Amino acid sequence: MRVLVVEDEKKTASFVRKALQSEGFAVDVCHNGNDALAAAKTTPFDVIVLDIMLPGRDGLSVLRLLRERRDATPILLLSARGEVNERVEGLNLGADDYLPKPFELAELVARMRALGRRGGENKSPLLRVADLTLDTLTRRAQRGGAEIELTAREYRLLEFLMRSAGRLCGRMMILEKVWDYDFDPGTNLVDVYIRRLREKIDANFEPKLVQTIRGAGYMLKEPA
Amino acid sequence: MTIRTRLTLWYASVLIVSLIIIGLGTYREIDEQMRHEHHREPTEHAISETSEMIFQVGIPAILLGLLGGWWLTQKAMSPVSKLTDAITKVHERNLREPLPRTGSGDEFDRLTEVFNDTLARLDDSFNRVREFTLHASHELKTPLTILCGEVETALRDESLSPLERERLISQLDELQRLARIVDGLTLLAKADAGQVALQLEPVRLDELVRDNFADAQILAEPQGVQVELPACEEIVIHGDRHRLRQLLLNLTDNAVKYNQPQGRVTMNLRQTNGAAEFTIANTGPGVPPESLPRIFDRFYRGDAAHSPMVDGCGLGLSIAKWIVSAHQGTITIESTPGQLTTVTVRLPLTT
Repeated sequence: MRVLVVEDEKKTASFVRKALQSEGFAVDVCHNGNDALAAAKTTPFDVIVLDIMLPGRDGLSVLRLLRERRDATPILLLSARGEVNERVEGLNLGADDYLPKPFELAELVARMRALGRRGGENKSPLLRVADLTLDTLTRRAQRGGAEIELTAREYRLLEFLMRSAGRLCGRMMILEKVWDYDFDPGTNLVDVYIRRLREKIDANFEPKLVQTIRGAGYMLKEPA
Repeated sequence: MTIRTRLTLWYASVLIVSLIIIGLGTYREIDEQMRHEHHREPTEHAISETSEMIFQVGIPAILLGLLGGWWLTQKAMSPVSKLTDAITKVHERNLREPLPRTGSGDEFDRLTEVFNDTLARLDDSFNRVREFTLHASHELKTPLTILCGEVETALRDESLSPLERERLISQLDELQRLARIVDGLTLLAKADAGQVALQLEPVRLDELVRDNFADAQILAEPQGVQVELPACEEIVIHGDRHRLRQLLLNLTDNAVKYNQPQGRVTMNLRQTNGAAEFTIANTGPGVPPESLPRIFDRFYRGDAAHSPMVDGCGLGLSIAKWIVSAHQGTITIESTPGQLTTVTVRLPLTT
């Protein structure tokens, strides 16, 4: 996957580049908006990571121009402004995701993978990981043939994890997609729910499917 | 004694003294005249004539004078009461609104002018503090992003020993806590500067409370805390869904965190006196009375809360208070240490 990172702060750009490269991405870096527009014109990127605060032309203006020239490359906005409604504003302008600074690298990588595979996301109504199945039409979950009772929230969490099976899901991402929280509540809500979910889908079964990636988040995956 | 009463009394005494002087003068005059004209003892006649004059002219004059005096002082002092009323309404948010001047250029006008200047200077200082907090939280974000990123990058190194890994993870935890504090500070600084706009829409408050109740039960489970929701009336208010959810989660998180093991959290949502009233009570160690007035202050934590079990950013209740105020509501806290601590939020209903 080829990605463009637009970030004027050199150190941030550098560790983002390193992290993405170690994850197997091909990474181009620009330090200002005009360079980014030029680069996006000549190279088809799979994802663009765009910092909002750039010298000269800012990220939102780059985003607007890209969308005006019908460039549909998935864009993830980064922002240190931390404005509550900035996320909404960015998404309205055509961004695909938004991550406030400081962010966790694992979170960034997880989101970029999700963006890069968009369209390729598992949209099937019947989700399956190992012997765990989730029927999104009847909202029934089964493992090894046994019915699993889930609350509404647990169901949404499991559906999200199963749709992103094999990919890391960061805490912020889970809070956003499952709870629709646009703020970091500073609670261990996600961890507590994951623990409950584990009791239901993993405790009495082998292999264990919910994996903890310390300091980063969770992943639902059949161990190799 | 108010200045007005004092002035009226002085005025009255001056009147009475002058009346006595005039009376004495009149008596002498009449006495003299009588001695000249009739060459006989005139004293009695003079006294009766003088007292007649005093009663007929003097007393009404005094009463009239008193009345006039009261009216005069009233008029003279009215700018003071107006000023007092206006000053009572001054608080840190409306320092820019100048107090009304009479325009007469008198001493009170001058006083108002000086006071307005002082307010403007105060406002400048407040703004500078707000801007400073805002800039400081922005400036902190870039190095924080870099630090988090570098520690995470270091963690990717497979050759780390378990001890090194543990150390790095602990650093990352603290960095993330710092990041949450900076986030909270940024939000409050922006709110102070009036830069956070609410996305107002009709919101079913009871649905948000029920949703939050489900999360609360799960959050409270590890500590064996029981969560109850005896009343949840259907209520629609005009509000910002995200911020209201943040408010509910903040309060719930606090009620669970500052509870005792096997304790209880009771929530209620009712409609009372034209307002939506949400209460959340917990059976924690409580808040000592001396801490109550400061409980919504930034970074303020009662001693009871300084338990190693509790980690938070110290801004939760300040953020809660901001969210409530932004919705034109009120938030109050009552606590009987060792028994029950109740937070009450009142939000105006959609009219």
